[in-house]
Amino acid sequence: MSFRQPSILPGFGLTLGFTTFFLSTIVLLPLAALVLAGTSMHWSDFVGTVFSARALGSYRLSFGASLLAATINLVFGFIIAWTLTRYDFPGRKLVDALIDMPFALPTAVSGIALTTVFAQNGWIGRYLEPLGIKVAYTWLGVTLALTLISMPFAVRAVQPALLEVQRELEEAAETLGAGRLTVFRRIILPIILPALLTGFTLAFARAVGEYGSVIFISGNLPMKTEITPLLIVIHLEQFDYQGAAALGLVMLAISFVVLLAINLLQAWGRREQVRVMR
Amino acid sequence: MAAAQASAFGTEAGRPGEHTWVHALVRWGCIATSLTFLLAVLLAPLATVFVMALSRGLAAYWHAFQDPDTLAAIRLTLITAAVVVPVNTIFGLSAAWAIAKFEFRGKSVLITLIDLPLAISPVISGMVFVLLFGLHGWFGLWLQAHNISIIFALPGIMLATMFVTFPYVARELIPLMQQLGNDEEEAAITLGAGGWMTFFRVTLPKVRWGLVYGMVLCNARAMGEFGAVSVVSGHIRGLTNTMPLHIEILYNEYNFVGAFAVASLLTLLAVLTLIVKTLVERTGYRRR
Amino acid sequence: MSITLDQLTKHYGGVPVVNDVSLDIGDGEFFVLLGPSGSGKSTLLRAIAGLSAVDHGRIALHGRDVTHVAARKRGVGLVFQNYALFRHMTVAENIEFALRVRHMRARDRRARRQELLRLVSLEGMDNRLPAQLSGGQQQRVAVARALAHKPEVLLLDEPFGALDAKIREELRRTIRQVQRELGITTVLVTHDQDEAFAMADRIGIMNLGRLLEMGAPHDLYSRPATRFVATFLGAANLILARRTPDGIQVGATTVAAAERATGGRENEVVAVVRPEEIEVAARREDLSSGYLARAVVDEVVFTGALERLRLRLEEPAQAPRLAFGDGEANAALQVTRTQHEQRGFEVRPGQQVAVGVRRVHVLPTPLSSFTACAPGTQLAERLSQQALLAELAARMKTRIATRVEPQLGLPEARCQGEDTFVGTTVIAAYPDAAQRAEWLLRRGARDLLVLPDEARAPQRVLIHWIGEASRSATLAVSASLLRHVPAEAVYVGIFPAQDPGAAASQGMRELLDARSEAQAAHGLEMRTELHFGEAEEELARRLAESPAQMLIVGVSHLTDFARRFRTLLEGGRWPVLIVHRGTP
Repeated sequence: MSFRQPSILPGFGLTLGFTTFFLSTIVLLPLAALVLAGTSMHWSDFVGTVFSARALGSYRLSFGASLLAATINLVFGFIIAWTLTRYDFPGRKLVDALIDMPFALPTAVSGIALTTVFAQNGWIGRYLEPLGIKVAYTWLGVTLALTLISMPFAVRAVQPALLEVQRELEEAAETLGAGRLTVFRRIILPIILPALLTGFTLAFARAVGEYGSVIFISGNLPMKTEITPLLIVIHLEQFDYQGAAALGLVMLAISFVVLLAINLLQAWGRREQVRVMR
Repeated sequence: MAAAQASAFGTEAGRPGEHTWVHALVRWGCIATSLTFLLAVLLAPLATVFVMALSRGLAAYWHAFQDPDTLAAIRLTLITAAVVVPVNTIFGLSAAWAIAKFEFRGKSVLITLIDLPLAISPVISGMVFVLLFGLHGWFGLWLQAHNISIIFALPGIMLATMFVTFPYVARELIPLMQQLGNDEEEAAITLGAGGWMTFFRVTLPKVRWGLVYGMVLCNARAMGEFGAVSVVSGHIRGLTNTMPLHIEILYNEYNFVGAFAVASLLTLLAVLTLIVKTLVERTGYRRR
Repeated sequence: MSITLDQLTKHYGGVPVVNDVSLDIGDGEFFVLLGPSGSGKSTLLRAIAGLSAVDHGRIALHGRDVTHVAARKRGVGLVFQNYALFRHMTVAENIEFALRVRHMRARDRRARRQELLRLVSLEGMDNRLPAQLSGGQQQRVAVARALAHKPEVLLLDEPFGALDAKIREELRRTIRQVQRELGITTVLVTHDQDEAFAMADRIGIMNLGRLLEMGAPHDLYSRPATRFVATFLGAANLILARRTPDGIQVGATTVAAAERATGGRENEVVAVVRPEEIEVAARREDLSSGYLARAVVDEVVFTGALERLRLRLEEPAQAPRLAFGDGEANAALQVTRTQHEQRGFEVRPGQQVAVGVRRVHVLPTPLSSFTACAPGTQLAERLSQQALLAELAARMKTRIATRVEPQLGLPEARCQGEDTFVGTTVIAAYPDAAQRAEWLLRRGARDLLVLPDEARAPQRVLIHWIGEASRSATLAVSASLLRHVPAEAVYVGIFPAQDPGAAASQGMRELLDARSEAQAAHGLEMRTELHFGEAEEELARRLAESPAQMLIVGVSHLTDFARRFRTLLEGGRWPVLIVHRGTP
């Protein structure tokens, strides 16, 4: 096939040209710089930066908290999506619109607001303090912030899947003798499973790179509550461009691996079905 | 049938034998859990912004906006948005036209590149520009020789913001234009209209709501971008601080009223964005 | 009785979508619910399955009252129009679902599954996914799945709707076979009359939420009791005829001498003549059946095995009045002829022919047509275009004639002798409606509708009769009207207020009698209410309570009519249909 199929619509050259130019300068060029900077280090320096105790601590926090946040959002996001699609209650439409708030709200604002609410004398923090639960300036706070900002992804991924489950399938299952729990377990859940996985993936990806909403509530103690993006910023401030780039590459690599794994999982799930068909 | 078309709500009510206490418990349990979760994670922080901003009274609130550094930050944010949003809109329209209207090899590469900034941490997004234009970056020496500052100055902030927000308009328009198809444009061409006329009179009206939504979202993210801008800005008060960065500075100085006052502006912007979203959806435009 | 429904009613947004439906289906019977879209048949099926709650009434399956029992405990199998197969499960898993839920052992499940696959001719398809099957195969899986748990009742909701014609036929045969083999009571819902005829032991026809008629396919086709059924089950020509002492007079000729009028009175009736029962020939003498009229061939359509003709009847004055036509000029008769008949006598458009009728069936319905009556021509025209009247006429597929009575409404009008009134007379609700009504009734009008100008389709119809003579006729008229209006029917029993105690039990008996007569003799389901006081006052009070009501009242004598009915007829807030049988 030639480069493109003929069409009577004009503007191909202009639009493709501009688009490619824009993407090259804004995306490709900077990324090239990143890759080059990160790989131009000495191998030993690279390993030293990337596997330093501080770096490892930050990976544990960033990826660990992101996984936890994504899992929490999987559960609560599902409950919220279920509630919004299945039950009617006063203010449902308002709640539905509010779900997108973390998406539209600047991360810095979320950051300082959450910190204030969960600080020791904050609205919620003051009730958790006597129970010995410290949220602000701990990994718990980091997880909480990450849960907030990735929540819309989980909910919005599951909602359309739930809406798609045909009522007739549930009705058929009921006439065949299934109780509500069985209907949920055997009919609804398998159908929305791909959407749940997608929601989890999106939430995780969003959480891993998060900066603004986390640095206020985390306290930024090295090896305890320091996230990887912050570590990158610190390297930059010390003009250690290469170190920063190295860490950046590691972040991208790990995210890439995780996303790939989940995509493979989804594809495997589909392939299983295909195999059964043969 | 009218009866059989009842919304999904009908699933949980109106059937014989379905009004047991278990069902009621599950129903109210779900609603309660959802609302509590949202209250803690969403509403409490939102409310806090305004409560804290007004905690010393209305006078202190207004006073916060008279600080010259704050005003400078607001000005900088507005200027950045005023440049970034139009550029990204043009890019979005251009990319959507190329991708939705034509079939060519390498389309999926293009789409992946467009989605890329959304998958990258904002810090990395900012860092790549430092690597290019910073002192030790690729063009660092050349820029210094010519006395041009990009990093730690307005151009750097704009570039970083542009990098992070350019996908939004494109991602709204591409599926929309793909869905709407080419028929009308092709009809216009056969009737003798030129490319620009077709674009302005046929395509643009069709996609106007998606465009509005994309632009509004792009604007909200541009004004609120923190991570990427933080890396390239240099944090020079009064010169290279956008509103989000200024919030950070005020907060770290324990000037809570100031920090939350500026935050309240951005929150109002977010609320406005959501209102626009709701209105756009009312017109029948549904996101994919 | 395998399935018993008793006065089942379900409202949706104030309108009864299932309106007082009662029926009994026997063991092993294949019952088909037939009706147009919106008739309530699917809703009824879902109510039997337990997927919708009902507002009133009882459902019993094999003697067990299941009205408030959840769907999963009813022991029914339901097959959906869009199959509703679990797409993420294989055919085997779909079929075994009901058995898994009941914790049957894998070995037993497999055995049952094999049995069912054999039953629906899908052996070997165990491990396929629904997406790999054709529409017909998917539906078979749906049937097998619904039968896995040996339900007592099999319900099918328009199961062939999504399939093409050839597959449909095949599947029909399969299902009928399966049903016979298993001997399971089955209810199938469809809007396709061919399907109903092909599969049913008995058909129940529904419209506007009401069950109109029930019976074997052949009986319903050749002897329908209502207009709707006559025109729904195949094409029908509805002809307004007169029942005379000599027989049924259609136009200028008398046919069907067997059905004579009794009691010396003539009245208008609706006759059904099926297109295949009409014969055309060159001249009257060539006809082998009873002569009807002369006609001109309007249109000839060749459809393979049959030929369809449209005939325009000549001599409008003498011609039989066709019930459904936009005025005399458009009176057209539908005829179908076999190839054999075509070869016997060819016709071309524009040709003049003689028309004969082999078989006529008279509908027992009392409401044949409407006549708008007013003192002047313009008023009569206006009345004939009133919204509710036009709607009723359209629904009943009948016409509205006009009649000018200059004496109507004149205070000194004397009732001089009688006149013949055709169909149901309609007058507008003037302030002196009671007087006008009395005048018309004394002159011989039997059914009289007093219609306010703003009247619209009622949501509730009250029924009452004063004196026993008009009882049967009132029920017949009510039944007929309520087949075309989706409203609640309520019989209002009114007793004098002297002795409430003793009167109460007698009143109850009276109510039950009325209800069972309505059901048995006229196929009408009604609610009942008991009131005490003066009949006319109580009715007026009940009508004033809510809007959108209508009254059908039977009277046996006209003494003091105007005074008695002043409150009811004046004020013109509700339509009143007066049924007069008895002495003037």
